Amino acid sequence: MTTTNQFFPCGNIRREFIWQMGGGFAGLALASLLENEGFFTQPGHAKTLDAANPLAPRPTHFPSKVKSCIFLLMNGGPSQVDTFDPKPELEKYAGQPLPQDKQYINSGGRAVGFLTPAARKFKPGGQSGLPISDFFPHTRKHADKLAIIRSCFTDTHAHGSALVQMNTGKPIIGRPSLGSWTVYGLGSENQDLPGYVVMLDKRGGPIGGQPNWSSGFMPATYQGTLFRPVGNPILDLRGPEHLGREAQRQQLDLLAQLNEKHLAERPGGAELAARAASYELAFRMQAEAPQTVDLTRETAATLEAYGVNQEPTAEFGRNCLIARRLVERGVRFVQLYSGGGHLEDTWDAHESVVKNHGKHALETDQPIAALLADLEQRGLLESTIVVWGGEFGRMPFSEGAGKPGRNHNPYGFSMWMAGGGVKGGMACGATDAFGFAAVEKRTHVHDLHATILHLMGIDHTRLTYFHQGRDERLTDVYGNVLKEILA
Amino acid sequence: MGGCGKMSTIGGTTLLLMLVVSVETVCADNTTAAADADFERTVAPILTRRCLGCHNTAEAVGELDLSCADRAMAGGANGPVIVPGDPDASYLIERIAAGEMPPENNGKKQPLPEAEVQMLRDWVRAGAPWPSARVLDRFERTTDVRAGRDWWSLQPIRRPAVPADSANFQSQNPIDSFISARLAEQGMTAAPPTDKRTLLRRVTCDLVGLQPTPEDVDAFLHDESPDAYEQFVDRLFASPHFGERWARHWMDVVRFAETNGYERDAEKPNAWKYRDWIVDAFNSDKPFDRFVMEQLAGDELPDRDESTVIATGFNRLGTWDDEPNDAQAYQYERLEDMVHATSTAFLGLTVKCARCHDHKFDPILQTDYFRMAAAYWPGPIYGGILGGPTQDQLGYDVLGWTDLTRDPGPIHLLQKGDLHRPGPEVPPGTLSCLPALHQEFAPPPADSKTTQRRLQMAQWIVDPRNPLTARVIVNRLWQHHLGEGLVRTPDNFGFNGQKPTHPELLDWLSSELVEGGWRLKRLHKRIVMSATYRQSSLHPLAAKYAEKDSANLFWWRANRRRLDAESLRDAILQTSGQLDLRQGGPSFYPPISAEALEGLSMKSGGYKQSPPEETRRRSIYMFTKRALIAPLMTAFDACDTTLPNGRRDVTTVAPQALALLNNEWVHAQSQHFARRVVAAASEPAGRVISAWRLALGRLPSDDERTMAVAFVDRQRQRSTSNDAESLAWASLCHVLLNTNEFIYLD
Repeated sequence: MTTTNQFFPCGNIRREFIWQMGGGFAGLALASLLENEGFFTQPGHAKTLDAANPLAPRPTHFPSKVKSCIFLLMNGGPSQVDTFDPKPELEKYAGQPLPQDKQYINSGGRAVGFLTPAARKFKPGGQSGLPISDFFPHTRKHADKLAIIRSCFTDTHAHGSALVQMNTGKPIIGRPSLGSWTVYGLGSENQDLPGYVVMLDKRGGPIGGQPNWSSGFMPATYQGTLFRPVGNPILDLRGPEHLGREAQRQQLDLLAQLNEKHLAERPGGAELAARAASYELAFRMQAEAPQTVDLTRETAATLEAYGVNQEPTAEFGRNCLIARRLVERGVRFVQLYSGGGHLEDTWDAHESVVKNHGKHALETDQPIAALLADLEQRGLLESTIVVWGGEFGRMPFSEGAGKPGRNHNPYGFSMWMAGGGVKGGMACGATDAFGFAAVEKRTHVHDLHATILHLMGIDHTRLTYFHQGRDERLTDVYGNVLKEILA
Repeated sequence: MGGCGKMSTIGGTTLLLMLVVSVETVCADNTTAAADADFERTVAPILTRRCLGCHNTAEAVGELDLSCADRAMAGGANGPVIVPGDPDASYLIERIAAGEMPPENNGKKQPLPEAEVQMLRDWVRAGAPWPSARVLDRFERTTDVRAGRDWWSLQPIRRPAVPADSANFQSQNPIDSFISARLAEQGMTAAPPTDKRTLLRRVTCDLVGLQPTPEDVDAFLHDESPDAYEQFVDRLFASPHFGERWARHWMDVVRFAETNGYERDAEKPNAWKYRDWIVDAFNSDKPFDRFVMEQLAGDELPDRDESTVIATGFNRLGTWDDEPNDAQAYQYERLEDMVHATSTAFLGLTVKCARCHDHKFDPILQTDYFRMAAAYWPGPIYGGILGGPTQDQLGYDVLGWTDLTRDPGPIHLLQKGDLHRPGPEVPPGTLSCLPALHQEFAPPPADSKTTQRRLQMAQWIVDPRNPLTARVIVNRLWQHHLGEGLVRTPDNFGFNGQKPTHPELLDWLSSELVEGGWRLKRLHKRIVMSATYRQSSLHPLAAKYAEKDSANLFWWRANRRRLDAESLRDAILQTSGQLDLRQGGPSFYPPISAEALEGLSMKSGGYKQSPPEETRRRSIYMFTKRALIAPLMTAFDACDTTLPNGRRDVTTVAPQALALLNNEWVHAQSQHFARRVVAAASEPAGRVISAWRLALGRLPSDDERTMAVAFVDRQRQRSTSNDAESLAWASLCHVLLNTNEFIYLD
């Protein structure tokens, strides 16, 4: 324990210190609130506590312009060979079975069909000529911003565990999610909004639910907050109709008086002062949070670009626009789900890739392109990374003759990143000739996570959380930064 | 492989014995007594501390094993590393002197201090003498980087003498003698006793998780008899709600939830029977050793019955993926869950850290992990549709555990945890960190249907000579009464945990527990009757003492505590007059707003709320769905259910304020509360008195009464509702439910 970690050093000495400050995390959270509300006036004292403030912005491990991450999670598993990983061999061998030497788990015991070419044509995009299929004509215009990682793989073939793995690193539930780690590591730039926001698809949450945005063994302070794109975005943001803002202000004033009297009889009650202060912060959040989903000040051109006012882009377009508004306000981590619930309501194209991906691509392509353009135009693309992908990919073969769907494939799939620190217009790694398994520059979920943290200025080996005797990491003992895609 | 101590082929005898026996034959005698002593004093500590972490027999990084003379002299992958008599020609010295060894840690070099390098140099120059039969064992002794078998928590419990009281302090309770002795050393004194009203609320919340009623308060305040407090405490111990309160603490430790998690998040049928079993166990004061035995091996007990089989539900509570990627590999995840739950709950050890390699900080070998895992190996850990045995296999319609066979195949250690690199077969047995109790498990008797491995593991855990079991549970009791444990990391008594602030008191309480037949209520009573427990949370010298001991490690005052999520919800229901105290049976599904249900893949279709009359029951009866824990509970730090947790975080964040300010359910309770208040008196002043008594257990001050009446007037005036009067009172009641006084216990 000779090294010190600049975030939360986990040597014994540091731990003793935290305990003596007043009971582990209780003490830390407390210090945060008191700090914000200016309860500590002694500079020495405040400085010590500032380092332990759980949501205040914290320094990165090394310089990075990136402040935020927008993770576009294509729930259900988009097919790589139909989107970002062209495989001409599939034309040649169409109708034949996958060669016998390929071992795989046939998820769900579905019918195993024949090698099937891409559902849509690939065309080169941008200066780089990066091939992207006709499912994404709008995104293709931004090809020069994208680093496509064609060699992703994960450990599991079932949606539930694969989603949890994409979010937390392991297919076992109970670990903190990527968003939790970033907020834990970097804090948040805006104390009036949650630091880690999750927006679901209207059709439902991801399979597995809450563990996908859980803070696991970390305090609940770091869990993702579900954010709704209309009205009152956060749970319990508004009281009943009969209690207006003015009446509530009267309540808070009475509450403050009662709490002050209580505190006066209990000198030094720092936790009491902190809790009293949290009501004022909550009152401000009530005003601030709805503004983030109020799009009335956005221009008609912006709304049009995102497709907010027309189907089928309205929902995802709105979510993308809100994602921009959130990162503009300093929210650290925003995750948007495309697809919700089960099967065809997600990218889970068992029935037909043309139909399924056609629908979901149409809903998301224009909004995603608009988001990239908007971020760039506002100078936010430098300080934001955008990540696109699903929990796994799909098989290069069909689910039977005349059945144009594809089954789950954890062995090889594509994701892309764009924005601050990402080298655009490039493809990294490769799958085999059929797009079945990653073979070159194989990139595990841990590697993706290591890379995302790296782009945000965090060394994934040094971001640790001490839990039950172990310095836990997002990437456990694994993870390599994908240097190839760094600008 | 082979090695100094044949560690790779665990035989039929104890580990320590084997080391001694085999070493005799492997390591040659080439030293003198004086050199032996030198080696022991200078070289052995350096090698043990700096080198053996990697260059041990099991791992032998670079094929180099520095644990005995023979292997050390043989060298590594590049040949010999020690040339006796010639340090400059010794690769070991070269690498160390260059600061290349030990290797970088987290990107930081960690060169040896010059003095240590010199010692090694001198040793090599002197011919590198290594005492015969001396095998360095990195688990033998505690160093500054890891614990050995001499670690405090692994040493036998010896009942310490109760410290003599000083002239100005006459203790009625040995607990206070221990506490005051330490305070006296520091020149400190305990806080004065707290007032009766505060004490009554404190002890009621602690023992039954409820608020004292206004009638309780009146009766207690007027009872001048010297044993009024003890009588009240005895009533609480006799209350059936005692078991509910303490069951909730245990449910955190055993990762209780009623669904499996993952894709289907299917319900664990009958999990509630296990919850009721805990409540009954605490109410009937089941001896703790029996409590452990039933949970680990209730199916293997000679007097097995439905209740003991229900208790084995402990082994079924973990998450379970019914569609794992690889069923073969997933077995090992299930083993980890059960090993982790068992070792955390009962032993305060992080055995799971030794799944892939020897423990980095505690004397727990990878072999130990597999010895313990072997107890679960014969169970239904592979595939299946239930995640456990069927009703037929159990003999009852319960959620329990049992072996599928009395004769399972061997379990092999997995090198680096890799399924495809099986190591030696590991026989089932106890952990080697308690050498005096270390044994392999016997094969089951001829008439047994099961392996009786869990039974033997449980017997080892509750063996009075096992020092961990009593210490761990005693510490948990102390923590839930006093706000922090004597060991402040209740689930980790290892190197990375905290050491006890009062080791003698911990051992005295542990001896008391074992000698008192493992009865917990007796111990609970000792604690709540102590002056330490009964002192005020305010100390006249608080400002001065806080500079020295802000964390209250010496117990110079009572800790102020926030009600936990369940107690808070129960207190709100109790205040509103809505609490339904019916006990036991299937859990209720609380109302969860449509917005929160959006997080489920089935949305509201995946959730069916119970009828309103069910949802007024105590929070312990709330259904715990892993894909969706009730937002009000998680907001107030109800813990994650995937891992055992003996100590919840207590955070103070704005979303908690939002929940209590705006949540629909909280408003509904405020209105119920207001109805009681309005019915209690026709005059505003009388209503205010009623509100204060119900929520805070006291009368309002004159100031408060005036403020409250004025507040109700203002709220009434600005309302346009027909119902302005009752809404105004509901608004006042709502404010009271939000006060610090309501949510904090002094």
